[in-house]
Amino acid sequence: MDYPQEQIDELKRYCSKVSALTEGNATFLFLEQLRLPDGSEPAACDALLRPFLGADGYPSQLYFSVQVKSPYAKNWNVSNARICEKNWFAFSWKINLASPTLAKILVAHLTGFTKEK
Amino acid sequence: MENKEVDILEFAERGEDVPHATVYRVRIDGEVVKIETARPTGELLLSKVGKRTCAFELIEEFVDHKNDVVEPNEEIDLRKHGLKGFITAHKEIVTIFINGDPYKIERGNRTVAEILAKVNETPEGYVLLEEKSGPPMPLPPDQPVKIHGCEVFHTQAQSGGSS
Repeated sequence: MDYPQEQIDELKRYCSKVSALTEGNATFLFLEQLRLPDGSEPAACDALLRPFLGADGYPSQLYFSVQVKSPYAKNWNVSNARICEKNWFAFSWKINLASPTLAKILVAHLTGFTKEK
Repeated sequence: MENKEVDILEFAERGEDVPHATVYRVRIDGEVVKIETARPTGELLLSKVGKRTCAFELIEEFVDHKNDVVEPNEEIDLRKHGLKGFITAHKEIVTIFINGDPYKIERGNRTVAEILAKVNETPEGYVLLEEKSGPPMPLPPDQPVKIHGCEVFHTQAQSGGSS
């Protein structure tokens, strides 16, 4: 699965490196040292963006290499999920964008750290 | 013959007219800067001391203690009689940028709702993102945002929730 280069370039602003990781027929985006919203601890961590519908029924998912502490407690319902030969964590956050780009999907997931619900 | 470099303060203090020169030495907040035109804009002078018109204003100071505010696009005559230099002042009403467009707002702590209202949006419908030494990042809707002037914001439709 290919993603538009301009959308990949937009993602690069948020992290130190973007690379594609494949599992089966699916292409995930590995975001090295993704910047997290103010108040998050750590302030940056590796992340994996799944910008497509998954078996979990979510239209997209953002996985983190660690459980991030944020000003609002999150429901971390994915723990040590093994994807692309790495372990990942994710909190319950479902997004539904009318015209999604990769950066918009990413921001919509990061917004979860800035809200209670 | 044109002078190479003149200091406008020296001429103002002596009550003399400033001659034509290649470079004019000008004091802005006490800092001496060199200007290579006799008619710079307010914006150019502010930029010489690392300040921008979205947060600061420039004020002319004369030897007779008269002060005049200079508009950003206004051309100033550095050879004006009695002009001794400039000071800057932080504006009370500053300019911020939302989705690329400029908007006026009061300096200080503002709510996310106040900022979104500038573009006729609400926190219920939109996320406010701030571009601050990095990419646009979402801001919590219930926390005040410190406005100094020149901040860059973006908005994105609300689209997420705990499932």
